[in-house]
Amino acid sequence: MTRLILQMMIAAALLAPASAAPATAQPMDAAGIVGKMQQAFFYPGDSFRARIKMTLKDISGGERFRELTMLRVNMPGGDQKYFMYFHAPGDVRRMAFLVYKYAAKASDRWLFIPALNLVQRIAAKDSQSSFVGSDFSYEDVSGRNIEADIHKLLREEELGGRPCYVVESMPKAAAAYKRKVSWIDKTTFLPLREEYYDVQNQLFREFSAEEIKEIDGVPTAMKRSMKNVKSGHQTVVEFSATKYRLALKSEDFSERALRNPPGSWIK
Amino acid sequence: MRKLRDFSLVHFSVDHPRWVVAVTLFITLVALSAFPRVRTDTNPKNMLPADSAVRVSNDAVEKTFGLYEDMIVVGIKNEAGVLNKTTLEKIKRINEGILQIPGVAARDVAGFSTIDNVTVDKGTLQVGPLMPEVPGDLRALEGLSKQLFENPMFVGRIISQDGRTAAIYVPLEKGANGKAIADTIRELVKGEGGPENYYVAGDPVARDTFGAEMFKLMAIFAPMAGLLMFAARYFMFGDLFLSAALMMDAMIATVWSMGLLIALGYPIHIMSSMAPVFLMAIATDSIHIFNEFYFRFREEKDKKTAIIKTMEAVGRPVRYTALATAAGFSVLLFMDIIPVKIFGGLVAFGTVLLRILSFSFIPAMFTFVSEKSIETASRGEDAQSSRISQFLAHLARLGAHKPQAVVLTGLALFAVAVAGTTRIKVNNNMVEWFTKSSEVRTADRVMNAALGGTSLGYLVVNATGDEEEFIKSPQALRYIEGLQRSLEKLPEVGKTTSVVDYVKRISRVLHQDDPAYDKVPESKELAGQYLFLFGMSAKPADLDNVVDPYYKKANIWVQLKTWDAGAMRKVIEAAKDYQRENPFPVEIKPAGIAYFNLVWNDAVLWDMIKGFLLALVVIFAILSVNFRSVKWALVGYIPLLFTVILIYGAVGFAGKDFAIHFINRFRLRLAEGRNAAAPESIEEALVWTAARPGKGVLRNAILFAAAFSVMLFAPLTPYITVGAFIVCMMLLSAVLCIIYIPALIVLFRKQLFTA
Repeated sequence: MTRLILQMMIAAALLAPASAAPATAQPMDAAGIVGKMQQAFFYPGDSFRARIKMTLKDISGGERFRELTMLRVNMPGGDQKYFMYFHAPGDVRRMAFLVYKYAAKASDRWLFIPALNLVQRIAAKDSQSSFVGSDFSYEDVSGRNIEADIHKLLREEELGGRPCYVVESMPKAAAAYKRKVSWIDKTTFLPLREEYYDVQNQLFREFSAEEIKEIDGVPTAMKRSMKNVKSGHQTVVEFSATKYRLALKSEDFSERALRNPPGSWIK
Repeated sequence: MRKLRDFSLVHFSVDHPRWVVAVTLFITLVALSAFPRVRTDTNPKNMLPADSAVRVSNDAVEKTFGLYEDMIVVGIKNEAGVLNKTTLEKIKRINEGILQIPGVAARDVAGFSTIDNVTVDKGTLQVGPLMPEVPGDLRALEGLSKQLFENPMFVGRIISQDGRTAAIYVPLEKGANGKAIADTIRELVKGEGGPENYYVAGDPVARDTFGAEMFKLMAIFAPMAGLLMFAARYFMFGDLFLSAALMMDAMIATVWSMGLLIALGYPIHIMSSMAPVFLMAIATDSIHIFNEFYFRFREEKDKKTAIIKTMEAVGRPVRYTALATAAGFSVLLFMDIIPVKIFGGLVAFGTVLLRILSFSFIPAMFTFVSEKSIETASRGEDAQSSRISQFLAHLARLGAHKPQAVVLTGLALFAVAVAGTTRIKVNNNMVEWFTKSSEVRTADRVMNAALGGTSLGYLVVNATGDEEEFIKSPQALRYIEGLQRSLEKLPEVGKTTSVVDYVKRISRVLHQDDPAYDKVPESKELAGQYLFLFGMSAKPADLDNVVDPYYKKANIWVQLKTWDAGAMRKVIEAAKDYQRENPFPVEIKPAGIAYFNLVWNDAVLWDMIKGFLLALVVIFAILSVNFRSVKWALVGYIPLLFTVILIYGAVGFAGKDFAIHFINRFRLRLAEGRNAAAPESIEEALVWTAARPGKGVLRNAILFAAAFSVMLFAPLTPYITVGAFIVCMMLLSAVLCIIYIPALIVLFRKQLFTA
């Protein structure tokens, strides 16, 4: 009991100067911070291209690779179109994946299966399921509706020498996680770290942006990883041949393009 | 040397009884303080050392395929069928409730609302939970029904063929307490109520419920055995104080040895949980001290002298029986199975403690008894008048006067028994260790009747060639499919699941749900793309559980309808047959908890045989030393051998105690008789031995049997079996001792006495 009181006194003593200090940045609400984060992380530069190398690491040290080219174009009203073309592994070469993401409704997805020469529409039932067998979910790749969660600014602190907002997001409806805590860089608004807690409030997933570089004037997380704390499985994503503001056309994101990918963009 | 120590101990105890009692009680309190830290371990995995080959390879399989060690299966049964709104709502609530329980691997719980389903609806491929929401109308309900029954991966797994039983598979995190989780689930379903019935089954439930029961049994049965023996003793000697002293002797040794075991950090296994009863029973050996004390007291009329003389007379046999018992049990220390080792060490240690107490605590307690009550008690101890003594003398006469007939009858029985032992079957089916009407067994029975089986084994198909991602090839997929079909022909196998089932499912779904495409695809590339498509949308665990990420190994889930170890043996044999008939560059290795039960089962049998043979050798050596004659050792050995073969068990060796007492006292009597004016004949000496120390032998046997008879009332069959077995054995071996030793001595008198 006395220890508790002592701890509370120390905490109060530590907090006092912080609250007394003059506010340097303009005050921001949590939802506003998350909104800025989404713009910086999922929407920068109207259009975007990168060659993506995914390394799937299992606990015994085994590694598998996925290589794809990703194209993105922003549409009016917060909608987006994504095109993904797979280079590796061998048996999935030429497979291609098209996503129309809508701000207001569930996205449309199509997959081209070359061995059957078939374009198959896929329901976006569960945006929290795994993205191509990695530890990332579809949501991690293309973002989550900001309204789906209640956001709360927990505190402001430095992470790896960078001042951050620490925001807690709790889904309004049942989701794969019960709450998420994000460290959002105050200057770039990129998420540097995210912790996902499951229904039992145990940490089960950890995201971290490991390398941030400025590409075409846009701060970009060139290397990021997602680790499943429970299984020990981890996926590392590395960007290369990254470019913003390309002259992408709407036809580059069509069913026809799935069968015959736009060669000029696929590198 | 040893003799000197014993007697100085006896003298010391008689001279300073208060000190001895105080020190004893103090040590007992210290030992008791360790008890709150007690924990039980009933996991068959832990029966084998962590570095044993089976465990290492099994751990590797679990790691490769992200498998859980343990799975609880929850059944929801509605006689009118589960596919109605109310029952489905209950199923959904239960499923959601289970996800909240700590220790449950929530992400991989497989039930209606969490299992992944692959379908095509209006040209759109859907991969997601089968029942995210309870169907609102009849049409949606029909849709769910179609989804369930058209998917072979669901029928027999989460829904029974007749639609009356639904199941939820609940994997547990490492180290989770299955019993606690099962109890929480039982509370959860209780809240839902009827008309549905709910069942909670699976190995962890059985195992951890067993652990809890075991603990209860230990706390109830050891004191009960003690009380029963106390009552029997009181009945025999009519002295409350002495009976209490004897019981305390047993209790103290039990508390000391169990306390030490717990303090050393060992868990209690099923075998060691029986140790207190064994120690109680072994403690009855000190009955010989009492028996003799009463006789001596009548002769000496002085308490102290009687005590000292008693210890002189019985010291040697008591010491040797203790030595033989301790040696017999410590042989178990050399076995492979951890619980057997611990049990052996525990009982051996306890036996030594008992003997030390016999030479200190018991004599000290004797000094507190008033001479008057000893008088009363010993009045009934006249060898001539006692009816029991007369009966025993009769028995011995039978052996002494008709040795050939007796020995021949024995040989015949022996032959029958040897034939019987070859049919010994060890049963490690933990579910069947519960009585038939128990909740655990009922749940298991119902679930196994309705679904694919609650016991899970794995067969890992490992490509031996160099081809990359070999498992994706049509040949490999067809090979695995064929293996599954041949396994499913076994009546013990309920259902098998492999990567092939996923590939076939996707193939069908991508071809407008055409059943003609419910087959292995023609090319490796196509299989690869199907799997990639599936992996794009499903839970990662779905594929991880059945194939390694490099497609070099596939894991076939084999659901068995019984926990009998033999079922997994049949699966392994069927797989070998299949390999023989279909040569293919793969090796097939078993794993999983069902396989563990099998390995453990075989190890137990082997350990039992090994222990039996070793103990026989050790005890023979001890007998030879005790009698200082190999021939006499043989005579003492035969009733023991008879007993253990007639009713075999690790404890069969207790029979030796009787032989040791009998022969020792007989030879003593003979030596005394030889110096007398009118030497007794051998027959007379034998009859005397049967009547006087023989009474001790019989009392010992009765007490021993009484101690174990409490186990007959246990709710767990291993306890009942062991209890019944020992009760029979003790009584039989006492009778054998009294009839056979005289018969053998008379038959071989020439050889024995010329030496």
